[in-house]
Amino acid sequence: MKEVLEGSHAVSQAVRLAKVQVMSAYPITPQTHIVEALSEYCADGTMDARFICVESEHSAMAAVIGASSAGIRTFTATSSQGLALMHELLHWASAGRLPIVMAEVNRALAPGWNIWMDQTDSLAQRDTGWIQLYCEDGQEVLDTVLQAYRLAETVNLPVMVVLDAFFLSHTFEPVDIPGQDLVDRFLPPFSPKIALDTSDPFAIGQMAPPNVYMEMRRDVQKAMEQVLDIFSGVEQEFLNIFGRTYGPVERFYCDDARIIMVVTGTAAGTCRQVISDLRSKGEKVGMLKLKMFRPFPVNLIREDLGRVQKIAVVDRNFSFGASGIFAQEIRAALCNHPGHPPVFGYIAGLGGRDVTVDTLAEIYWKTKESDAPEDESVWVGLVNC
Amino acid sequence: MKMAQEPENGKKIPLFISRSHILTDVNKTGSWRFVRPIYREKTAPCSTACPAGQDIPRIEMFFNQNQFEDALNTILFENPFPSVCGRVCFHPCERVCNRAGLDEPVAVHDLERFIGDAAARGELKPGLKKLPAKGKTVCIIGAGPAGMAAGYFLSRMGYSCDIYEARSEPGGILRWGIPRYRLPETVLTFEIDRIKQYGLKISCNTPVTHDFVEDAKNRYQAVFIACGHGRSLKMNIPGEHMADDGLDYLNRLRKGDTAPSTTTAAVIGGGNTAIDVARSLVRQGTKTTLIYRRQKQDMPAFKEEVEMAVEEGVTIMELFSPVKIEKHDEEFVISLQKMKTAGMETDRGRSRVIPDGGPGHQFRTLKIFTAIGAEPADPWLSPLQKTDATLDLSHCTLADSDPPLLYGGDLTNAIQSVPDAVASGKQAAMAIDIFFKQGRHAITDRLNSCRVGNGPALSMARYMGEKQRNRHEDVVSFEHINLDYFPRESRAETKTLSLDDRVRSFDEIKTTLTIDRALKESRRCFNCGICNACDNCRIFCPEIAVTLHAGERQIDLDYCKGCGICVVECPRSAMELQEEG
Repeated sequence: MKEVLEGSHAVSQAVRLAKVQVMSAYPITPQTHIVEALSEYCADGTMDARFICVESEHSAMAAVIGASSAGIRTFTATSSQGLALMHELLHWASAGRLPIVMAEVNRALAPGWNIWMDQTDSLAQRDTGWIQLYCEDGQEVLDTVLQAYRLAETVNLPVMVVLDAFFLSHTFEPVDIPGQDLVDRFLPPFSPKIALDTSDPFAIGQMAPPNVYMEMRRDVQKAMEQVLDIFSGVEQEFLNIFGRTYGPVERFYCDDARIIMVVTGTAAGTCRQVISDLRSKGEKVGMLKLKMFRPFPVNLIREDLGRVQKIAVVDRNFSFGASGIFAQEIRAALCNHPGHPPVFGYIAGLGGRDVTVDTLAEIYWKTKESDAPEDESVWVGLVNC
Repeated sequence: MKMAQEPENGKKIPLFISRSHILTDVNKTGSWRFVRPIYREKTAPCSTACPAGQDIPRIEMFFNQNQFEDALNTILFENPFPSVCGRVCFHPCERVCNRAGLDEPVAVHDLERFIGDAAARGELKPGLKKLPAKGKTVCIIGAGPAGMAAGYFLSRMGYSCDIYEARSEPGGILRWGIPRYRLPETVLTFEIDRIKQYGLKISCNTPVTHDFVEDAKNRYQAVFIACGHGRSLKMNIPGEHMADDGLDYLNRLRKGDTAPSTTTAAVIGGGNTAIDVARSLVRQGTKTTLIYRRQKQDMPAFKEEVEMAVEEGVTIMELFSPVKIEKHDEEFVISLQKMKTAGMETDRGRSRVIPDGGPGHQFRTLKIFTAIGAEPADPWLSPLQKTDATLDLSHCTLADSDPPLLYGGDLTNAIQSVPDAVASGKQAAMAIDIFFKQGRHAITDRLNSCRVGNGPALSMARYMGEKQRNRHEDVVSFEHINLDYFPRESRAETKTLSLDDRVRSFDEIKTTLTIDRALKESRRCFNCGICNACDNCRIFCPEIAVTLHAGERQIDLDYCKGCGICVVECPRSAMELQEEG
């Protein structure tokens, strides 16, 4: 059934349909609407779940780690400073191999205080062992949350479903809310591989001396390496039941493209328009929408970008002293790929600044007119400098 | 540690994590500790404010745990009059209730009334035992609330009691002074009958004389005089004899005499009796004006009663002092002196008033009632000749005599209220018991050891060495409550008669709460300072060092590392941290 839904509530609906049993979160704009709806579902009996109120995001993650360790399907959501505060426990969740799903609404970090869209918060957590999936619209958010549970519970790794502040979290769109019977068919009840049991007490996560620590970490990576494959299987089943699929990356007019623009999140929607406009003018341009950031789909990047003339990466984030983070990752993926094209890195739309059709067109023309990148990162749309 | 591997899509997902079945009891984390948590019950502010020293948080705890008889017995341990006090007490407990810091005070009096009324309906049975007979008999003069309370506590302690009452039935001011719309007779009769079951003997229609008391000192092992104030104060103004006595009027109403109705009346005074007279007159269709020489805000009557009187149509003339009463034909004319405020009285917190110097006023009415206070009916009813051996206690006075002769109730109380009368009876009972067991010299210290918190109220539970009554005298303040456990919730409102119905009858104005509302209200109580077995300490302890054996929680000091989480998570300040010695 289609309903006009706010992006945040697309997340809430998916969590309801996933029959999550324990949720814990601390309010932070622009994430609050997600858990606000969930707390209402708990209060009015729509969901048979426990909502644990906590005093910080650190505790929220600790609470879902505890519940997940007991073999319970869990959910949390946060944003920006809240995610930063969770940092320590993000490691605990992944190395503890707990299939927690979290919605993370991309918001800029302070100071100066800024509640708007910026990807640096989630990308700063790239080394914590969480799977990261970036979404473009409300439908993709709802679908990805459902897929995230299948994926997480199969590989025993936590998943972060990432959506843009306001451009997605607070935008109303028609979203198809699937029936519970179909969702139940896609997502069976959680059967945990690790579950604390009071009738057979044991401890998890304690001391791991040098003779075992490396093996544990290697196992996390081994699981990560299988994510892409398992995600394809999950998507195939999702397609069979719901008739929708997204892919870890999406190619848009890439087959004959000379220049491919790499975008993420809601900017992909804008970019589709730009590509259509440029194509109508005869420009050989395509778009690669990157959905999966962790694990980084290196082979897909090499396949899709290895043969084009130029790559333009749009980063709504920045790693100080280096460059845009998606550009870094793409350069790293290509550097051992003989004859790879130059990677043009563009920084745009930080702290909620709009990435408009004109911004993206400017990026395209700059890339086309330059033989080589003038800099590792070109900042687009600056006002005073 | 174990290696776990799971097949999925034909592939294995490696899942190597640290996991152990080895017990951690070898790791005695107690060695890290430099502070230790202890269970220490404290005193709730309501209990210290209650003249009868009732253990209010424990009453509400039992109530909301559906242990209704335990709730009743916890009240009856300290006060034989829950239904009466639930109605007529001015509930000082609620004025200091910590819950007011969050939203509104707990409706303690409504809950007390509910419990008392459930007992009156026979739904709850009191279970307080009598101690073995002591072979001593105490003479009590006056069967008002103080005398009855003294008889009740003394009987429970094993004394025989003979009570002498001048009027035809016991109850004193409760029966003869408080109108039916505040205290129905059936309520009073039930609670007096319950006291009688302890075996005390009440001789009604037996006014006593000074000679009787002198004789009683020979016949009894102790005498307690609590006959109240039998004589109304005089205004000492010309024409005063033409005014009716307010208390007499209330007595007549209680006896069933409907005094001849009059269309207008003036009531002179500002205490509870004056308000009771005025509101009773309104119920008989009289247009009533209350004349008070001070400001309305300084009336000794309970504020709520004054407000209801005004709602019911009583006109209040403040700052008017009567100087003369004359009769003109059928009418009385009261000459009034207008007063004005002039600074504050040093010790009573009210404004001093003096004549304003302006011209006199005249007030015409068909009937006049005075209710400006009362005093002992005879001089011998006060312990006039005080010696060094006279013991002036908070709620009674022990004269220098053997056998012990005590004065109490309104004769000695600074605040003349029903719970203060109960306090007086309790203090007298304890003092008499201490006198026999340890002698006169021990009374003050022993009573002090039974005080509730830092107030004057005495705990009979503490006196009789009841278990689990070892509350520390520290009073729990609002800052000690962990508000995370208490969502805001509005206070119970009792249903009241409509104004129309109120002024037309003597029916009781307020109703008793329903069971559902009463339970909900009892859950609002923080249970300040007492353990209600919420188990937070045990649930939150990261070392599982809080153990539960046969309902008792204990800290296993081998593992308690002194983190203090239990103390923080105790919602009601029944725990605290102590430095290791």
